Amino acid sequence: MPTGEAEWHGAESEVSQTRGRVFEALCLSATSIALVSVLVLLLYVANDAFKPLSADPGWHLVILVTLVLPAVGLALYYYRIDEPAGEVAYTVTGLPIVGFLLAGGLGVVFAELLAIDEYFALVIGVAAVVALLFAHTRLRPTAPLERVVLAPLLSIVVVFGTPPAAIAQFIGPDDWQLVVDPAVTVPGLGWHLDLGGFALTVPGLPYRIVSLPELVLKSPVLPLPSLQLLAALTLPIAGLAGWFVGRRHESRQDGLLATGLILVGGAATLALEPATGVAATTWLVVYTTTVVPLAVYVEGVYRRGQLAGLAFPVVLVAGGLAGAVLTRALGLAGPDVWLDWGYLTSAPNSDPALAGIYPALVGSIMLLIVVVMMTFPIGVGAAIYLEEYAPSSGLVGKFVTLIEINISNLAGVPSVVYGLLGLAVFIRWAQIPNGSIIVGGLTVGLLILPIVIIAAQEAIEAVPDSLRQASYGMGSTRWQTVRNIVLPEAMPGILTGTILALGRAIGETAPLLLVGIAASVRLAPNSFFDLGSAMPRQIFTWAFEPQAEFRYGVLAAGVVTLLVVLLVMNATAIVLRNKFERTNT
Amino acid sequence: MARETTCTVSRREFLLGAGAGGAVALSGCVENVRSDPDSGGGQVIVKGSSTVYLISDLMAQEFMAPDDVNINVTVDSTGTGGGFKNFFCKDDSDVNGASRPITDEERTSCGESNVEPVEFQVGRDALTVAVNNEAEWVDCLTYEELSRIWRDERVERWSDVREEWPDEPIKLFGPAPTSGTYDWFNNNVIGEDYDHTSEHEQTEKDNIIIQGIENDPYAMGYFGYAYYSENRDRVKAVPVDDGSGKGCVEPTLENAQAGSYPMTRPLFIYVNRQSLARDPVFEFISFYLEEAATGLVSEVGYVPVDEATRDDNLAKLMLERP
Repeated sequence: MPTGEAEWHGAESEVSQTRGRVFEALCLSATSIALVSVLVLLLYVANDAFKPLSADPGWHLVILVTLVLPAVGLALYYYRIDEPAGEVAYTVTGLPIVGFLLAGGLGVVFAELLAIDEYFALVIGVAAVVALLFAHTRLRPTAPLERVVLAPLLSIVVVFGTPPAAIAQFIGPDDWQLVVDPAVTVPGLGWHLDLGGFALTVPGLPYRIVSLPELVLKSPVLPLPSLQLLAALTLPIAGLAGWFVGRRHESRQDGLLATGLILVGGAATLALEPATGVAATTWLVVYTTTVVPLAVYVEGVYRRGQLAGLAFPVVLVAGGLAGAVLTRALGLAGPDVWLDWGYLTSAPNSDPALAGIYPALVGSIMLLIVVVMMTFPIGVGAAIYLEEYAPSSGLVGKFVTLIEINISNLAGVPSVVYGLLGLAVFIRWAQIPNGSIIVGGLTVGLLILPIVIIAAQEAIEAVPDSLRQASYGMGSTRWQTVRNIVLPEAMPGILTGTILALGRAIGETAPLLLVGIAASVRLAPNSFFDLGSAMPRQIFTWAFEPQAEFRYGVLAAGVVTLLVVLLVMNATAIVLRNKFERTNT
Repeated sequence: MARETTCTVSRREFLLGAGAGGAVALSGCVENVRSDPDSGGGQVIVKGSSTVYLISDLMAQEFMAPDDVNINVTVDSTGTGGGFKNFFCKDDSDVNGASRPITDEERTSCGESNVEPVEFQVGRDALTVAVNNEAEWVDCLTYEELSRIWRDERVERWSDVREEWPDEPIKLFGPAPTSGTYDWFNNNVIGEDYDHTSEHEQTEKDNIIIQGIENDPYAMGYFGYAYYSENRDRVKAVPVDDGSGKGCVEPTLENAQAGSYPMTRPLFIYVNRQSLARDPVFEFISFYLEEAATGLVSEVGYVPVDEATRDDNLAKLMLERP
């Protein structure tokens, strides 16, 4: 309508908004259905695990008055009036929780995997390697290539011995009894290998060179375990904290003072054993993981003068204590929870009241270690190659595209199929014992490998090309660009992706069933070749026990434990991402 | 060149951390404890029947109860046949629980990989047929009727079994063909001339069978007595008449012990003879056979073996040890 005067089309009628509104409402209902169903499920499980209704109503009232109301009031105050203090409040509350979890993890490691003296010896070995490499840097600062060769060689010789004990053990422990001890030198015997009928003798290597940790372990003058921990665990942490404090104060002296104070505090915890009856090593681990980070953080808060936030944990602890004292004085019974300390530290039992998840918890953690060791290097390596090096054009480029499509499809293959693959490859072909931690870890690792590759690829792809171009423009080689620009930039994404994939790994059950992880395992594994269980496998067992208490209470407590571990892992992913993003931009 | 940028430092720290983690993990392999035969500890792998699983699991628990026992007995329920085929005869497990005797094919298959099974009876089970609590019309079933219900060319409706019963389809829940319970039921109740029906809901998990029966008023299923004894209020056990003139007998532990309940079957464990040479396996099996005559077995819901059988078992154990 080309008229002279501009006229608004439809000035007197409105455009219909009905379809848009309906669409919005549909989206909203989809969101709420998803959220509500998950929430209902979680509440249902939590109710079974904690049984809040089994407590006295009076107990709830007392806890509400002493703990919940003050905490909520204070939280509201922070939220409305003093937001920076709120941040301090949640960090200072969260730090000890993470610290205690870490202490628990370390406790498990020391109890099952690596005894304290072994850890002490290992730290000495690693420290020796670092010191030697440092000395090399000082003596020959212009030979970085030499160091690249030297580093793995030194680690093997010093930390593992030659040949490494693990390999020596695989070859056959019987033959090694002769030569494993440096004291028993058999001159002229040579280095004898028996590879199942195929014998290999290396003349001129009369005995196995024992590693530094083995030597330390054999030493007759090993200090007390608590002193070993003080030296091997608290000392490095104290050094790190001192460095951190020194940088914050811009004073090396303050840093040294902080290190000294932390060490003195650590030594003081040794006096707690006779006073409390709890082992000094336990106190030391808790001190190092919980008190030290908290003290360093609180010192910073004190310097900045944001003391209001520190009130929150005080209110929580005081409220909890007051609640406990009051309920005990009034004789009010708390809820009869399934998920308690005993549950976390005891083995599965045919009596539901005594059943616990400890071996499965340890098994899951060890499984995850195997998964990480396998998937992280392979997955990230593959992603770097595919994104940075693989040709993208021509016939080879098409082949690479085909491979990438296949990887994406592998990420969607059902986990049972990976279980069968693990059964065929690791158990039937490679003859790794069925039901062992390593077989479970390798199988679940295969399962999440495509997910890790895709996540890492996406993280690398998200690094802006302008950064790469700028790096090339400065004359960097491709290796320098990848190392200095692409990887640091992509690391938060890679870590987040990997940890989320690990979240899937920890919940997988079907592949574990197929590789023979047993229904009932009562001892926590203390090596990767031991038979072990995992939390989802244990939950699966409980789901089919004859007694109903297993299927409801014990199982629900297991689910909550699994969820907590999962949430901690995801929280770690978020913290890592934020941390790396902050330091790199 | 700007070597000492913050990225390089954090990368180096990262590498160091990863290296230390790797070292810790590797030394975990070095300090092998239980999987190392010289360590004094040890591992025993038990697979097999889901019926015997309950006994073996309790035995493992009691065996490992003292603090100084560093032997890890792991128990798994794979079904009798599944355990023989996938683990025991491939030399992947030391012990296989079985709710029926080993078959000749299984013996041959085990022999091919030099596995020599040694049989021990560890208890008796009263196999229980159950129906929904609302099925008040059923108060007894004969072997003949059970056979007609469960055979391959089965009757479809309750009214086809007895005319006065409702004209409704019978929904069947039972174990999978890998199960020893399935084989025993086929051979002894349905009759060797017939095949077991494949139209039932199959599961290795007896709780699923109970759940299925509970949710359908016209359902029927069979499973080990232990699962019934834990779920008495959820389903109704049916007395059984084997046609030998004893009439209908209720499934109870007393009747099973007295031998009057017809569907009483022996439960076995099979031990790899080579495994018996290993101390942890030998110790566990001695404990198991000793305790098989005690209240531990009835605690689970099965009938313990008598003292004569126990003594025979122990003598056989000594004899068979390589």
